[in-house]
Amino acid sequence: MSDFWFEFVEITQTIGDGLFFGATYALIGIGFTLIFGAMGKLNMTYAAASLAGAYAGLAAFAFVDAPAPVVFLISALASGVLGFIAYLTCFRFIPINNHLAALMASIGGLFFIDEMVVHATDGSPLTFPALFDDVMFDVGPYGVRGDLLFVLAMCVAGTLALLYVLYRTRLGLATRAVSQQDVAAQLCGIDVHRTNATTFVLAGLLGGIAGAMTASAVGVLSPLITVPLTVKGLIVTVIGGLGSIPGAIAAGLLVGGFENFFLYFRGVNERDMYVLLLLFIFLVFRPQGIFGSGADRD
Amino acid sequence: MSYYLGLAQLIGIHTLLGLSAYVLMLTGQLSLGQAGFFAIGAYCAGILTVIFELHIVPALLIAALLAAFFAFLVGFPALRVKGLMLVVATIAFGEFVRLFFFNLSWRVPRDGIHVGPDSTNGFREIRYFVANGWSAWEITLFVWTFVLLVMAALWWTDRSRAGAVLRAVGEDELAAQSVGLSLTTVKVTAMTAGGFIAGVGGALYAHTATYVDHLTFTVLLATFAISYPILGGLSSVFGTLVAVIFIQGLLVEGLRFMGDWRSIVFGLLIVVAMNLKPSGLFDARTARLLRRAVGLRGGEKSRA
Repeated sequence: MSDFWFEFVEITQTIGDGLFFGATYALIGIGFTLIFGAMGKLNMTYAAASLAGAYAGLAAFAFVDAPAPVVFLISALASGVLGFIAYLTCFRFIPINNHLAALMASIGGLFFIDEMVVHATDGSPLTFPALFDDVMFDVGPYGVRGDLLFVLAMCVAGTLALLYVLYRTRLGLATRAVSQQDVAAQLCGIDVHRTNATTFVLAGLLGGIAGAMTASAVGVLSPLITVPLTVKGLIVTVIGGLGSIPGAIAAGLLVGGFENFFLYFRGVNERDMYVLLLLFIFLVFRPQGIFGSGADRD
Repeated sequence: MSYYLGLAQLIGIHTLLGLSAYVLMLTGQLSLGQAGFFAIGAYCAGILTVIFELHIVPALLIAALLAAFFAFLVGFPALRVKGLMLVVATIAFGEFVRLFFFNLSWRVPRDGIHVGPDSTNGFREIRYFVANGWSAWEITLFVWTFVLLVMAALWWTDRSRAGAVLRAVGEDELAAQSVGLSLTTVKVTAMTAGGFIAGVGGALYAHTATYVDHLTFTVLLATFAISYPILGGLSSVFGTLVAVIFIQGLLVEGLRFMGDWRSIVFGLLIVVAMNLKPSGLFDARTARLLRRAVGLRGGEKSRA
């Protein structure tokens, strides 16, 4: 009985940690989904730009010993700037209805950013400052890691700020108008290109926070996590339903919990395979995702 | 000399990889999972010649058929979704295959040593060519026999009804459906053919490299696969070959003096190319202009 109880606590603890960590996946997923919602395109540079932002924050930490909030701020800003550059180079001048060319260009951008980071750091992993990693809250038989709680809090704050911008400001109104009908929005006097660029910067700011959070929760920053993070972000976006922010949040937490569950049972080498299987299950049985409408899943 | 033969083998193998994506792109589908089929071909052919000690030709065909079978299986669920969703689904498939081989360990004793895939350490003992005393010339000839066979088959397909069917689906799905074409059949067939070609390429790769591990079959390789037909355009199979020679021959080998920086050039090249020519560097119009410039007749009659 006590063995079973111990096992049960251990498993739920693992899943719980995964749910907290899943908040970073949710943020990456929101970034993909935001841009998909606005332009109907995938920005493959996104996860790479987010991590590059985290590298910028890390540089501030290493060279001028910046305090933690400044590190996060710089990460967000750098990633926002990269988002703007990604818009200019991979989306702005490519015909609006040529989705595959934009996708291809952004994949090129992904490898470009990734290689730049590899060159800047000689490809070796760097330690990222962890926050509140010595704090531990006890809730009954469970322990809540302070750093993961901080990750969750930052993600919630970031999402709330995004939702505020989207639904309570003129800028957000313009963004939503462009995403619904870009021609009509243009006829109403909205500058579509400027609005899209703003969406990219907003998504970038969020991505920078997510990148820094991921690095801070893992403890190291390495170019090796770029592609896995991109894949996880895409999976979260698809499972949540393309273009759906609540979907991305739910799917992010789901993927986080799911992957820690399999980490516990099958080990780190096999963990990601089960996350990919989860995607296939969704593709077969619910291709529109958790919150997708199913009307336009192109 | 052996350096140039090695390069010729590499170009041949990458041409097969590019053509596997080319078939699929004719039907308007973009797949980032070709590295997965390539990996299946590589590992399977390696296992057959090393563990089962088969001759290379049957091993290669079995490996390609297995890759085709998996492409067929992936085709059904993945083609329920279109465009960008298919890209995500195929990336996920490619990563799944990579992780599968990352975890696969199957060691058996042969001639006193243990051989076979050794999960993280890769699959080291694919020495069929060396063991049977093939010269570099013979290996190159062997590789290019398959490249030319596949190119000829695709060239011929393009001139038959089947090619028109593929392109019809790629141009306009609705119109193709209206004239009675089954989209699922056409797309799954293209997917299967693409899987087969990638499987042949992978099998040849494993044997020329003598060593494969999961890091070979990343999203970067899948990106190479689709960048060849995108840069080469879809007007004919030669576009893909030209693009492979351009990227692997000139960019990767020619820029060797730049050291590691040349991998940055690849990403940059794609971004620049897509901005200048969103529908491919050698699209139908450029191909026509080139043909006219060279003085070949019938440039105007060539199809889009």
